[in-house]
Amino acid sequence: MQRTLPFSENRVFVTGNEAVAWAALAAGADIMFGYPITPQNEIMHYWTRLAPAYGKKFLQTEDELSAGFTTIGGVLAGRKAFSATAGPGTVLFQEPVTMAEMMRIPMVVIIQQRGGPSTATVIYSQQEVNLAAFGGNGEGWRVVYSTANHQELYDYTIKAFNVAWTYRFPVFVLGDGYQAKMRESLVMYDPASRGMELAPAEAVVGKPGRPGSSRPAVHLRNAFSVEEELYESIMPGEEEFRSMARRVVEHDEEGTRGAELVIISHGVVSRAAVAAIKRLKEKGIKAGYFRPVTIRPFPEEALQRAVALCPRLLVVESALGQLARLVKEALFNRPVESFDTIFRPGVGITAEELVEAVIKIRQGGTTCV
Amino acid sequence: MGTTVKIAIAGEGGQGVQALADILAEAANDEGKEALYIPNFGIEQRGGVSLAFVQIATEPIGSPKFRHGDIVIALSERAISRTRQYITEDTLLVYDSSLVAPPEVDDEAIGLQTYDSVAPEAMAGAVSEQPKPGKVRLTRRAGRVVGIPATDTARQELHPRVFNMIVLGAAVRAAGMVKMEAIKKALESRFKSKFAGNPGLRELNYRALQRGVELVEAALAREEVRH
Repeated sequence: MQRTLPFSENRVFVTGNEAVAWAALAAGADIMFGYPITPQNEIMHYWTRLAPAYGKKFLQTEDELSAGFTTIGGVLAGRKAFSATAGPGTVLFQEPVTMAEMMRIPMVVIIQQRGGPSTATVIYSQQEVNLAAFGGNGEGWRVVYSTANHQELYDYTIKAFNVAWTYRFPVFVLGDGYQAKMRESLVMYDPASRGMELAPAEAVVGKPGRPGSSRPAVHLRNAFSVEEELYESIMPGEEEFRSMARRVVEHDEEGTRGAELVIISHGVVSRAAVAAIKRLKEKGIKAGYFRPVTIRPFPEEALQRAVALCPRLLVVESALGQLARLVKEALFNRPVESFDTIFRPGVGITAEELVEAVIKIRQGGTTCV
Repeated sequence: MGTTVKIAIAGEGGQGVQALADILAEAANDEGKEALYIPNFGIEQRGGVSLAFVQIATEPIGSPKFRHGDIVIALSERAISRTRQYITEDTLLVYDSSLVAPPEVDDEAIGLQTYDSVAPEAMAGAVSEQPKPGKVRLTRRAGRVVGIPATDTARQELHPRVFNMIVLGAAVRAAGMVKMEAIKKALESRFKSKFAGNPGLRELNYRALQRGVELVEAALAREEVRH
C-alpha cells in the first residue's frame, strides 16, 4: 500500500474538488466523514477513490450534523479527520464546529459555497461568509481561508490541517461552486519535498496510562453549571484565539499606494479584481486591490494601513454585504472618503463589470445598492 | 499584454458540448497556456441546453464565467437563445447550419434588451424572449456569423458520433490559440483504451477534427466575401 504521494511535483489540470481531495492526502489526512451535497460531492468521490490505495478511510454519515460530530470523534481519537459541505450543510455543521471551538478540536471542513437561502441554487455564491466566520452559538473561534484559485485550494487545504493541529481551533477552507467544478492548472506537490513539516496529530482520549495517577486525566467540557464557570472558560480561549490570529492572519494587496480607489473582494471574485486593476492601468487609471485571505481572523490592521494610503473603497462580492460588514467593522472610526459597493448575491462578477464601475465612480457616479 | 480568448459553447444534451470544451481546455493547458473550463451546472439531470465556458490565455485568467464571448458556438436553436447574452459586435458566432436557420437580428429587441446591466447569469431576461419557430433571433448584431453544416457532415461523410469532434476542429481554428497536435494528444489520453481497441476510431476522430477546420475556414471565407 502506498503511503506517500506518487509524485513530488506534478502540474495537473483538474477540478477544484479533485485538487482538495489530493491536498487532504498530501496533508496526511486519515479519514473523511461526509454527507453528499452539491457542489462538494466530488471531494468525497475523489477521496473514496484515493482512500483504499493509501490506507485512508471514509464514512458516509446520515446527515451533516453527524458528519461534523464524527469528524470530532476522529480527531479526539488522534486522527486527522475532515469533512466537506455546502449551503444548508454548512448551517448544520455549525453545532459541531462550535463545539470544536470550545473544546479546541482541530477539525478541518471544506465549504464549497452555493446559493442561499435554503436549497436555493447548487451553483455558486459567496453567501456563506457570515456562517463560516460567525455561524455558531459562540464567538467565532475558527480560521477561515477564502481561496481564489486551484493552487490556493491545494495550498490552503494543506495549511488548514497544519493550522488546526498547531493551534487547535477548527479551520474552514471557503471555496465555492465555481472553484469546485471548474478545471484549471495547478502544481500539486508532496509537502515533504518542499521541506514543509506537517503538524503531528495527537489523540485526546484513549491515551495509554491510568488517568489521574500515571497521567493527568483528560477533562473535556462543553457544558457548564453556572454562568461564571463559562465566562472563566471563554476568556482564556479568546486570549489564545487572538494570539493565534496575529500569526495566521493573511491578506493580499496590490497597488494601494497612490491608487485612486481600492477594490476590496475575497475568494474567486478577487480574480476579477486583479484583472480589472490591470486593465484600468492600461487605461491610465490607478486602482488598487485588497483581499482578505483569512476572512476570520480578518486582516484588520493591514486593511487600515491600506485605507490610510487610499481612503476610496469599492467593495465587491457575490452576496449582499457579508464581506462589506467585516470591512466596515475593521474600519470602525477610520476616515473613509467613499464607500461604493457591488453586491451580486448568487452570481459571478467579471473584470469588465469592475472596470465599468470604477470608471463610473471616477465620473462622480455611484454603484451602491 | 497578454491575450485571452473567451469561448461559450452551447448545444442540446448528448451533442457532446462538455466533452469538446473539456478537451479544448485540456489541450491548451498541455501546451503551456492558461486554460479554464467550467460547465454550466444546475439541478437538472438531463434535458435542457448544455452550456460550457472555456477561456484560453497567455496571462492569468480572471473570473471563471464572462459577460461576452469572443467566440460563441451554438449547436441548436435553443442554444442560440441561451447564448444570446454572450454575443456582441466583437463576437464570432459559429452555428450548426444543418440544424439552425441563419440567425436574424431582431432590431426591435435592440435597445430593449439590457443584458449590459444585468449579471451574466440573469436567465430571466434571456429566456423571456422566445424565438419564433424556424427563426433564430439575436438581440444584438454579432461581429461575424458563420454557419457550418456539422451535423450533415458527420452523418454523410463520417459518423454521427464524431459530430462534436467536427465542432472541436472548428473551435480550434476559430480560437487560433491551440495547435491541433495538442488536441490530438488530449484525445489520445482520454480515449487511450478505445483507440487501442479500434485504431480506426483514432483516424475517424482526426478526420472529423480536420473537417471542422475546413468547414469553418470555408465559412469564414464566404463571410469575408460578403463584407
